[in-house]
Amino acid sequence: MADDLKYGYKGAEPTQSFGNNTGVFDPNDINNLIADNKWTTFGQLELIETQTSTNGTSAFNFLNLGSYNVHFVTFTNCKATSAETNMALRFSNNGGTSWIATGYQFAYWFGRNVNPLEQKSTNSAFLGYAGQITSSTVCGGYFYVYNLLDSSKYSFASYQSEATSNTTQYSFGSGVLPTAETHNALQVTMNTDSLVAGAVVSLYGIRYS
Amino acid sequence: MAGQLIQVATNTVTSAVASVTLTGIDSDDVYMLSASGIVVPASSDGQLRVTVGGTADTTANYDVAYKGLRADTTFSNISSTNGTSFGQVFQWSTYTTSGITGNGIVYLYNFNNASEYSFITNESSTQWQNGVLGMQGGGVHTVAQACNGIQWFGSGGNITAGTFTLYKVV
Repeated sequence: MADDLKYGYKGAEPTQSFGNNTGVFDPNDINNLIADNKWTTFGQLELIETQTSTNGTSAFNFLNLGSYNVHFVTFTNCKATSAETNMALRFSNNGGTSWIATGYQFAYWFGRNVNPLEQKSTNSAFLGYAGQITSSTVCGGYFYVYNLLDSSKYSFASYQSEATSNTTQYSFGSGVLPTAETHNALQVTMNTDSLVAGAVVSLYGIRYS
Repeated sequence: MAGQLIQVATNTVTSAVASVTLTGIDSDDVYMLSASGIVVPASSDGQLRVTVGGTADTTANYDVAYKGLRADTTFSNISSTNGTSFGQVFQWSTYTTSGITGNGIVYLYNFNNASEYSFITNESSTQWQNGVLGMQGGGVHTVAQACNGIQWFGSGGNITAGTFTLYKVV
């Protein structure tokens, strides 16, 4: 559509915003307004990608993060191959060519009926842990991840999980990679061992966040 | 549409403001507040209040209980009754190192229902001097009234940056 007929209007064009789109729109208009977070679409929890484990999967690499301030990661049906392990995150600053393996900080409460305890680190190889599992237990949970794509801010996360053991276990915590840079790929992994087939990990973006 | 979020209101702060108010709660659905990239002055906590008719309710009817998660020292249990806000829903660093921001998610329950109290649960992540600092817990405003939104304010001064968005969970 010609610029002098922007949104079908001659002269002053109407201001566009979420919930208030006025005029006639061609596909380019819509794409531009979506990119500017000004196009009204309902459903702001947007699935980016889902991955499912095969036997021996040790990491789920998400190389496309879209353009969101807040991401939401879910993991379900996670079961270890042989050893006790924990679900965790790593970030990349080079599109997933390599994964940052130092400097993460985390603090989480590990709840269980016997000996619940605090877990913490100021310099870890992983951001976590969430969902402790073995070859006979299963976990699920989520991470909210903040500011990954903002080069001026640290990347933060908050998370919760639930696991079956002899009795139930849960965890809730927070973490950060205290480096102000763009983290343009995300890895859901575990601190040791791998998973059996059937674990499902999904990455969502929360639009307008 | 099940399992979706619908944006209700949003505010991106780019210059100093004392508070951010997001309204538009008009149904009995659960609502979710996303807050990210928030910068406040030193020694300031991020706190929340319900709004009634768009105005923050400052009456002393807020009860809260949170676990303070810290990477550098022992965790803390934070609780109070009859406060004038939901308290340290987000607790911030006293350090203004570039890159440190406040971030979190708050779920809002029963806000629209005039015959029920308004409840929240929250999780947050920021950084203290030597490590990550998280707050997770819940609160209740013990007044049965219809609340149409939420107000975020810094206890120690103006907010200078951040994005706040209120969603309906459907």
